[in-house]
Amino acid sequence: MNADQHERLAEQLRDAFEHQQALRIRGGGSKAFCGRAVQGVALDVRGHCGIVEYQPTELVITARAGTPLLDVQAALAEAGQMLPFEPPQFSPDATLGGVIACGLSGPRRPFTGAARDVVLGVGMVNGRGEVLRFGGQVMKNVAGYDISRLMTGAQGTLGLLLDVSLKVLPTPVCERSLRADMDVADAIVAMNRLAGRPLPLSATAFDGEVLWLRLSGAEPAVAEAMEALCGEIFVEVEELTGQQFWRDLRERQHRFFSGDDELWRLSLPAASPALDLPGRTFYDWGGAQRWLKTNAEAGAVHVAINKVGGHATRFTSDGAVAQPLSPALAALHQRLKQAFDPVGILNPGRLYEGL
Amino acid sequence: MTAASPQAALAQRFRAFLPDSSILVTETERRPYECDGLSVYRRLPLLVVLPEDINQVQRVLRICAELAVPVVARGAGTGLSGGALPLTDGVLLSLAKFNRILDIDPLNRTARVQPGVRNLAISEAVAEHGLYYAPDPSSQIACSIGGNVAENAGGVHCLKYGLTVHNIVQLGIVTMDGEQFTVGGTGLDAPGYDLLALMTGSEGLLGVIVEVVVKLLPVPDTAQVLLAAFDDVVPAGDAVGRIIGAGIIPAGLEMMDNPAIRAAEAFAHAGYPEDAAAILLCELDGSRAEVETDVMRVRKLLAQCGAREVRIARDADERALFWKGRKAAFPAMGRISPDYYCMDGTIPRHRLPEVLSGIETLSRDYGLPVANVFHAGDGNLHPLILFDANRPGELQRTEEMGGKILELCVAVGGSITGEHGVGMEKINQMCSQFSAAELTQMHAVKAAFDPAGLLNPGKAVPTLHRCAEFGAMHVHDGQLPFPELERF
Amino acid sequence: MQTQLPESLLDSPQGREADAILRRCVHCGFCNATCPTYQLLGEELDGPRGRIYLIKQLLEGEGDADTVRTHLDRCLTCRSCETTCPSGVKYSRLLDIGREQAERQGTRPWQQRVMRWGLRQLLPFPRRFALLLGLARVLRPLLPQSWATALPAVNKASVAGANIAVRHPRRVILLDGCVQSVAAPEINCAAARVLDHLGISVQRVTDGGCCGAVEQHLSAPQVAAQRMRRNIDAWWPLTEAGAEAIVSTASACGLQVKDYGHLLRDDPLYADKAQRISAQVKDIAELVADSPAPSSAGPRPRVAFHSPCTLQHGQRLGGVVEQILRDWGFELTPVADGHLCCGSAGAYSLLQPVLSDRLRADKLVALRRGSPQVIASANIGCLMHLRQGAESSLPVRHWVELLADCLPNK
Repeated sequence: MNADQHERLAEQLRDAFEHQQALRIRGGGSKAFCGRAVQGVALDVRGHCGIVEYQPTELVITARAGTPLLDVQAALAEAGQMLPFEPPQFSPDATLGGVIACGLSGPRRPFTGAARDVVLGVGMVNGRGEVLRFGGQVMKNVAGYDISRLMTGAQGTLGLLLDVSLKVLPTPVCERSLRADMDVADAIVAMNRLAGRPLPLSATAFDGEVLWLRLSGAEPAVAEAMEALCGEIFVEVEELTGQQFWRDLRERQHRFFSGDDELWRLSLPAASPALDLPGRTFYDWGGAQRWLKTNAEAGAVHVAINKVGGHATRFTSDGAVAQPLSPALAALHQRLKQAFDPVGILNPGRLYEGL
Repeated sequence: MTAASPQAALAQRFRAFLPDSSILVTETERRPYECDGLSVYRRLPLLVVLPEDINQVQRVLRICAELAVPVVARGAGTGLSGGALPLTDGVLLSLAKFNRILDIDPLNRTARVQPGVRNLAISEAVAEHGLYYAPDPSSQIACSIGGNVAENAGGVHCLKYGLTVHNIVQLGIVTMDGEQFTVGGTGLDAPGYDLLALMTGSEGLLGVIVEVVVKLLPVPDTAQVLLAAFDDVVPAGDAVGRIIGAGIIPAGLEMMDNPAIRAAEAFAHAGYPEDAAAILLCELDGSRAEVETDVMRVRKLLAQCGAREVRIARDADERALFWKGRKAAFPAMGRISPDYYCMDGTIPRHRLPEVLSGIETLSRDYGLPVANVFHAGDGNLHPLILFDANRPGELQRTEEMGGKILELCVAVGGSITGEHGVGMEKINQMCSQFSAAELTQMHAVKAAFDPAGLLNPGKAVPTLHRCAEFGAMHVHDGQLPFPELERF
Repeated sequence: MQTQLPESLLDSPQGREADAILRRCVHCGFCNATCPTYQLLGEELDGPRGRIYLIKQLLEGEGDADTVRTHLDRCLTCRSCETTCPSGVKYSRLLDIGREQAERQGTRPWQQRVMRWGLRQLLPFPRRFALLLGLARVLRPLLPQSWATALPAVNKASVAGANIAVRHPRRVILLDGCVQSVAAPEINCAAARVLDHLGISVQRVTDGGCCGAVEQHLSAPQVAAQRMRRNIDAWWPLTEAGAEAIVSTASACGLQVKDYGHLLRDDPLYADKAQRISAQVKDIAELVADSPAPSSAGPRPRVAFHSPCTLQHGQRLGGVVEQILRDWGFELTPVADGHLCCGSAGAYSLLQPVLSDRLRADKLVALRRGSPQVIASANIGCLMHLRQGAESSLPVRHWVELLADCLPNK
């Protein structure tokens, strides 16, 4: 499908601006739980879709926000390329706009970068209904402020994404997974020591008992690394098992995520030791992203994470609640929101109260 | 009794917490600060201050905010867009004394450094851990990390390893009202908006960077450089697309044309073929076996594209030498021309041949020679216009020609600046790249940080008024873009 | 860079030279990165790019000469910036011109003038220096701290081989130098033994004198020129008689003599001779590097080598001594920031003690890092300066002495 509806969307935003009507921006609805619940009139972006430009030798793809993520990935796969940040989908309905607005990245993130790292440019509509373009389709561009990256992860609170240009990479020819039994303290050190070595790593995770590694790259590079690591304590994982493991982790389908305890996402310096909190922990991103299933009080989690200089997001039945900002930083966020969305029509309250 | 001059009044306030030697008042002392790496633009600052801790920076900014005195921050002064050009009624805030590496964390692969630390000094300091800081602008020997962040500096290895924004995790900033913030985090993300990305490349308009936590990468096992010589620039450009199309992402992919080759060779004695129309430098890194395979593949591709000679660096020393010439290519122009004017456009790579021929035509029309240095892998073109500022009118023609080159880049879908920043130099071309609404949005962002507009005002984002004037100037040829600037 | 030197100045050879140098500078700032004082002070005015700008102001008829001179005084003249400069700016030439101008236009405080005069009357004269050195050792408790610590220790080392017969067809003139001949005569004795071993005989000149570097760098270029002419007169007969080179074991002296050709280029009587003398000067490393190393390698100490600025930046002989030491079987320890000055820089250690001490402290940290058994260098100034900062368990010696230790029948 290919349809340019940017004028209709801009018109709707202008209208909402004039009537101070709050909007709830939605694509495939797959990531509604990634922020707080929004009260507002639904604005569906899915009609604005299609790949606008893609030249594999330029390593850049531009597509409209409503394009299904699967379509983008299929087009890339045909040319032997991929989105480097391995985005979670959560549903086949996921759109490119939703992925970028939520700024989510998969297990590859510490090694090939986050969603924001590959965003080269955006077309967007601000809270006044003005169509704006920032960045572009070239790898390097420092003309003006980097508003494209600011949009990534802003969950639509600063602007409605129309289209995005992303840097893409060749898909690794070869991918293998390894595992080793280990305790948590050793696993944290091992993941970080390995990341400090010149190995073709593309993911490292620890599920509480087993340390998992994924190697990606050219055939000889992966073979060489396999040889080095299997001589140590690692054993190779059967290919399908490996793929299944990384996909489950990315999609939060791994059995770890089931159970009644509350789910938390912790983001912290990778080598931080295990936090002293009740419940179970799953370590992704070499230890920099940790999933916690716990019945601990929110206060206790915040105290523990603050000690190591990270932040925590709590997933509740009302959506995800991010760690509160310091008063000075919160005020700055408010002023930025005001700069893009003066009357507060764009997904109000999605990130924080008032944002 | 007459009222003290604004300069004397400010100096008096600063003396409460800065030694005399850190407040430069006399013209003789201020004069060497009148320009950065772009010395054709010069303005004498009202006062220069050299604080050495964050508290002093906060106090300087609070006093300036109170007295409504504008402030321009400066690092090593190696910028090429006039981003640190002072204001005649403003304070120049030098951060060059902030030159300490505060902490190295080898396990987390980060280093906490002060903003005045030189880019290369970071890699030197962490080398013993087998790590390095990836972005390597050509001026990396001298440029400071704070300036790198302010300009989102790139380098010859950013196709594979990214720009500054991809290689820092946290910033300490002080806003114009003296408030200190931390943006980003020592993990891989932070709650709220991505202020780390917004600050990176904001050219000192939003806040003063007082601390940087950089990400460190493991030094690759093996690296190898190929040097390919071509008798024509077009096939050299084609070769770039062929290499990337083959699924190879080189660590660096650089192109130089003949004048650039000759100037760089004169300094570095790297063994560049001085009669070639263009050379490509292609660095491949990774595991030994991978690099060996890729070297063979690239060598074959280069030969297929018509390279008349492909050389592979014999050892680490020759590899360093190949790069030394490239990295010194800009200032080496001092050997063949008294002045050079460096442009920084980016283009979609496949448009290279037409852009190069457009530049050649402009060069002929204006009678000014051009040397081209090109980050070919990521489409970032650095035409160096050679001129003599001592010849009346030549700078003006150079600026005009430079503007036309940038407009050409925008016309083919590129940008007016890939890594040097807009600064003062390209401010008019911002009007051709952005609409009034887009510029207004940028001003609103600025106001969220600095409502009084006192941090580096007049740079990076033009006022709509200026754009209107620039538009008018297109009609009336021969006017100077910046009549208020003192110039050669 | 654009320049606006007045016509009157452009009429003079000096003015034209300065203009040409200034116009080569593109203000890139690479030089600051390797400038020892800029790295310490973080101040544009105390780095080469800022000093060039200050000199430019002065030559253009603006700028306060005393301010300019203060910052030029802080320059070590190590010329590290020249090694770094991609545009080929001849900074030290410009600096000489700038210093002369600043000296002429400004007024140096009388205390500084007295001190400079004193050093000029002392250092270049071996006998006066020896006399005063003896006296000073007695009076050490009464001297100012920076001077007291600068006194070289009494040297009891053997001066064996001081009079080796001239027995080889290959002959060279060995410069005695002024300070070195008094403070460390053992160096040239070692040099004579090493050269003799390599089949080269050494001749000494009795009526030569200081090379002129002291006056050159202490605001008295005219006096320096007189010395240079006298030296040329003294060496000329020997070079005419077949001495193949004039050899220096002090890289600062060697550099100065290599510069005679330039410094005397406008002297109608001496310009040609100065050119020829300069062409014949060699640092001893250049001679030794051309000869094979002895094959028998006994146990050798681990060496941290400090390459003097005059050797690596001035004479552009970086790496040569290091290679010789390796060839002779020595293990070299890694030394970070090897391009930086140790802070000695001629009379600098006496005139700018604060900066000099900081540079020496940093240098010694870098030299000790690889746990060497001995520190070696190639210039008397550096040797004396480092010796004062290093603990007594870590000797500081001229590298040629280490070579002499390897020779049989010591």
